[in-house]
Amino acid sequence: MIEVEGSLKRRLGGWLVVTVGVLGLALMVEAWVSSQRAAARAFDAQLQAAALTIAEAVRWQDGIPQVVVPAAALQILATDSQARVFYAVLDDDGRTLSRNWPVDIPVAWQQALDEGGMSRDLTTTLGELRLHAQRVASAGWVTQLPVQVWVGHTLEGRRALARSLFERSLSRFIAMVLLTGVLMGLTMRAALSPLRRLRRQIRGRGADDFSPLAARVPKELHELAQALDHLFARQRQGREDLLRFTADASHQLKTPLAGLKTVSELGLRSSDPDEWRQALTRVHARAEDTSRLAGQLLSLARLRHLDRETALPALDLGELVRDVALDWAARERAAEHDLGLGSLPAEPLKVCVEGWALREALGNLIDNALRYTPTGCEITLHLSREGDWARLSIVDDGPGVADAALATLGQPFQRGGRQDTEGSGLGLAIVDTTARRMGARVQFANRSPQGLEVVLWLPLAKDEQDVTGAFAAGVNPGEST
Amino acid sequence: MRLLVVEDDALISRSLVDALTPLGNTVEVFACCSDARAALRQGGVDLMLLDIGLPDGDGLSLLAELRDAGDRTPVIILTARDALDDRVRGLDLGADDYLAKPFELAELEARVRALLRRSQQRADNRLGLGPLSFDPASGAASLFGEPMALPHRELLLVESLLLHAGAIAPRETLEGRLFGFGEVGSNALEVYVSRLRKRLKGAGLRIRTFRGLGYRLEEDDG
Repeated sequence: MIEVEGSLKRRLGGWLVVTVGVLGLALMVEAWVSSQRAAARAFDAQLQAAALTIAEAVRWQDGIPQVVVPAAALQILATDSQARVFYAVLDDDGRTLSRNWPVDIPVAWQQALDEGGMSRDLTTTLGELRLHAQRVASAGWVTQLPVQVWVGHTLEGRRALARSLFERSLSRFIAMVLLTGVLMGLTMRAALSPLRRLRRQIRGRGADDFSPLAARVPKELHELAQALDHLFARQRQGREDLLRFTADASHQLKTPLAGLKTVSELGLRSSDPDEWRQALTRVHARAEDTSRLAGQLLSLARLRHLDRETALPALDLGELVRDVALDWAARERAAEHDLGLGSLPAEPLKVCVEGWALREALGNLIDNALRYTPTGCEITLHLSREGDWARLSIVDDGPGVADAALATLGQPFQRGGRQDTEGSGLGLAIVDTTARRMGARVQFANRSPQGLEVVLWLPLAKDEQDVTGAFAAGVNPGEST
Repeated sequence: MRLLVVEDDALISRSLVDALTPLGNTVEVFACCSDARAALRQGGVDLMLLDIGLPDGDGLSLLAELRDAGDRTPVIILTARDALDDRVRGLDLGADDYLAKPFELAELEARVRALLRRSQQRADNRLGLGPLSFDPASGAASLFGEPMALPHRELLLVESLLLHAGAIAPRETLEGRLFGFGEVGSNALEVYVSRLRKRLKGAGLRIRTFRGLGYRLEEDDG
């Protein structure tokens, strides 16, 4: 089930807005502060120049300073804005020699003023003023009274400059954000285009096309593309398995059917009832094998399609084993054998398996025992519990299997190392497949003095597993035999 | 006996006819549910062999109809090997036995015979196999018509074995019947069985042991 959760574009856009917002705020504050500072610096320099110009125009007559404020100084002070200009020339005792506005300079400032000059902000009835002061002493050898030149102006000019500087930064920033947005959109489009290509390619595939993807993808999509390739490979494998299985099965069935056809044809050609009888006997035997083979192929095919996903209800293994044993013991096939049930545990052993599959596997084991042991042999089913495992064994006292063939007994078409039997070699493969599907293990062992023991180790259902610790050693299946 | 075979595969139904007719049965073959339904309505059917996959419907629904109508005619269902779940459903619906295709004719004959015998016994309320018989009404057993003087538990054993005539009588069932459901020694049952074996010697009957499973009373010739 695919759920659409948000949009990649929206998410990226969101992050962009947040980051640009935070960054922009910081930038704006910085731009504001620095434009204020730049304006202040520019105008302070102007004030300084004006103060110097006025200072140079001071003349001393008989030790008394005479001031004629030059127009150039006022020119310097004037700004484009409607700022008001102020100047004052004082002597060291605070007496005003010349001034254009009646602004009182605080005495503390006057006293603190030295040759280096000073800049101050002053709030007056005329508005806020920026002041700069310069102390001037004549360089001559006659002692003269030093004077203080105070110049200033209202802040409109500074503010206008600062504002225009800030506005310029702001507009640059906005232009940058817009540009970034557009670029981001284009980038996203470009970045997502491999995804679009991939989508188009997958959508355009045929239903039976499991070939690997032939797409150029960026590194970030590589894993996704690989996962897809892996999926395709598995599907291809599954389909090939299926095809091979079908081909194998057809082949397996074709051979005995061809034999049937030939034998019956030969029988029909003859007019001797004895030959008919022989042919019929052969046809019967072959037909029996063929139908058994078909049944086994069907089981294998069904086993392959077992649905692992569904949780299985726990079933009582003892009951199932008894049921299967009763079923087989009552059959005519078993009439010549001594098929019986050995010990069963007193308490029920619950396992979570497909009942029919386990029956099929057990049936195949019993069928094998009946088929490959001489008449009169004992075949016994045992069930016991060992730790968290159920041990289900089928024991016979027949000839057993060559030791070399024991290991490969569970593989298809092995026939226990015997090529003389008419068996398909599928029976134990079914058992093996079933066991693996159930998380069980199969073990084959010869018994002394003779006989074969096949053991199925089945994991007990979880809530059945031992918690008392009596078996806490955790017997590993197979190691106890 | 009148037997009904409901099977759409001509080869199989033909061989069923050929196998069952020599046993003294009249065998009628129907290839679809509707024909079989009509025949069943007439009654007088002793046993039905019912294939599950039929061209005009599910054999199981025919079985369900039959049982719903209170008809106890014995039914053996024939299933394909890969449809063992159907088997379970069939038995739940009231089938008496099942056979998975492909089956051996000997197997089929044995099942049919056993089932016919059981339904016969149910009909005349007497249990019997070969020369041995048991009358549930009087609780008396007889061999070759002669009453057998049997201790209580051996009598119960005869009854139980005959109830399962032709099939394996499970060990637990026999123990429960003979000793109640208490703890029983492992060979207590075997003691009674071997006593009964001695009594049946020479009567053409034997009790076969199925180790760990139970016992089956069978006729010596098969």
